[in-house]
Amino acid sequence: MPFSRVHLAFPVALALVLGCVLPLGLLLVFSVFTVDMDAFEMVPDLSGHSWGQILSNPVFAFLIGKAVVSGLVTAGLAALVGYPLALAMARLPVVWKGVANIVLLTPLYTGEIVRIYAWRIVLGSEGLVNAVLKGFDLIDAPLKFLLFSPFTTHLVLLYNNLPFMVLAIWISVELVDHRLIEAARDLGARPVEAFTKVILPLTTPGLAVGLFAVFALAAGDMLTPSLLGGTSGATPMAMIDNLFGTAFDWPLASALALSLLIVLFGCASLMAGLLLRMRGARAVFAGRLP
Amino acid sequence: MSRTVSLVLALGVGFFYLPIVVLAIFSFNASSLMAFPLSGFTLSWYADLFGNRAFLEGFLTSFLIAQPVGILGAFIGLMAALAVTAPGLRFRAVFVVLVILPFLVPKTVLSIAQAMLMNWVGLGRGATALIAAQTLVAVPFATTIIAAVLIRLDPRLEEAARDLGATPWQSFRRVLLPQLSGALGAAYSISVILSLADLTISMFLAGRTQPLSLVVASEFRRELKPDLNAMQVSVLVLTAVIVALTELNRRRLRRRASPMRDPE
Repeated sequence: MPFSRVHLAFPVALALVLGCVLPLGLLLVFSVFTVDMDAFEMVPDLSGHSWGQILSNPVFAFLIGKAVVSGLVTAGLAALVGYPLALAMARLPVVWKGVANIVLLTPLYTGEIVRIYAWRIVLGSEGLVNAVLKGFDLIDAPLKFLLFSPFTTHLVLLYNNLPFMVLAIWISVELVDHRLIEAARDLGARPVEAFTKVILPLTTPGLAVGLFAVFALAAGDMLTPSLLGGTSGATPMAMIDNLFGTAFDWPLASALALSLLIVLFGCASLMAGLLLRMRGARAVFAGRLP
Repeated sequence: MSRTVSLVLALGVGFFYLPIVVLAIFSFNASSLMAFPLSGFTLSWYADLFGNRAFLEGFLTSFLIAQPVGILGAFIGLMAALAVTAPGLRFRAVFVVLVILPFLVPKTVLSIAQAMLMNWVGLGRGATALIAAQTLVAVPFATTIIAAVLIRLDPRLEEAARDLGATPWQSFRRVLLPQLSGALGAAYSISVILSLADLTISMFLAGRTQPLSLVVASEFRRELKPDLNAMQVSVLVLTAVIVALTELNRRRLRRRASPMRDPE
């Protein structure tokens, strides 16, 4: 068989298997090893000890559950905020769409630490929001819940991941035949009805992709909760980091990391799968209209 | 454009740029306290920046690491995009999942797993490990960008080249590559930018190498000083310049290519 583009898949797949799948697979092996705390090294004595701890100690289930809830809340908020933005961007004249794309993606390029840092200045007790509220005499003392609370974590998680949601929905909206929306309006549908009956069903593939990505990214974030969440900022990732670095319990770290991955991918696939099963999405994939 | 559309867009831009604008304002504020009301204009935080060796060395390290990440990211992204858009690729879904895996696995988990593997086989952490890991994370982005352009190309051009006797390499070099240079530039830029912005991977794999994000993070935990703002604004401006140059380059190439594709 002569060489063709298909064969380029091999080196790429090899790189990804070595750099990504192999390390993750190794987690599975390490999770059944034991640590010899006297020699301070990991020995290949097979034991289910780590998995036993994961299943019996409720702290792990609690942390993973918290990450899942965080991911779901962020994904839901991103969908609510993302739809109006994506619909507005789709209405822009063509020449402005390229600009809108850059404007949307530039904040994404700022480093993780820059964003966290900037939000501290905006939300701090002497920050922008409190200064403005005070200036209008709306509050006497600075609002404390703005910084180092679950509110902060979710606001910044939304900020970090919203561009992915907007992008996914926007592409989907651009693919919808605009005449369908016009037809709905001509036949007397109110804007809300045109949205729920025409736009929403036909853009479910984009919504599913956006929810999947935002959920995975938000639930897997460690820095935002730990640097902005205050006492509420514990995450399974920070726990894994701790077990790996300080406590030197690699088997438990591996078991926790794997449990987290399994739960996250399970939830994300379930969510995206349910959406893609809906009538609108099936119609889009079948290339016909409902 | 209706008024609702403008309002929604204005609110969106406001939300996305609010923290960045506040950061910029305080980098010019003549007070070491980052609090309102503002105290007057100064450039001294920017002057301090050039005297800070840790920042400058960190910046140089980050820049030197970002270059190979950009080149490798674009190269692997190109191969992945060529493969994924080729007709007749078997197990396409598996390949797609493999390529987007580094995007979906939490970076903390992936980096720790990589650090464990490297420790186990006895490889040291440091610049090489960091470049490899950051390249993997850039691959999903680079692939998407290049594949998005590839699927819009007219497949008949490549078929015509092959029918006229071009080898696969010739048809790639003469037909596909010229149409892809904009996308390759964009893939390079996004890989460079992701590398400059990364903190999580550096935390676990940098070893003794100290890229800027790590220097800033350790500073950040100790105290917040406005020279950090000046630093961040400088990095942002640099990023914006890269983005703008990439976009200009893409437009220039598209203008040059368009008369060929649809003659008027």
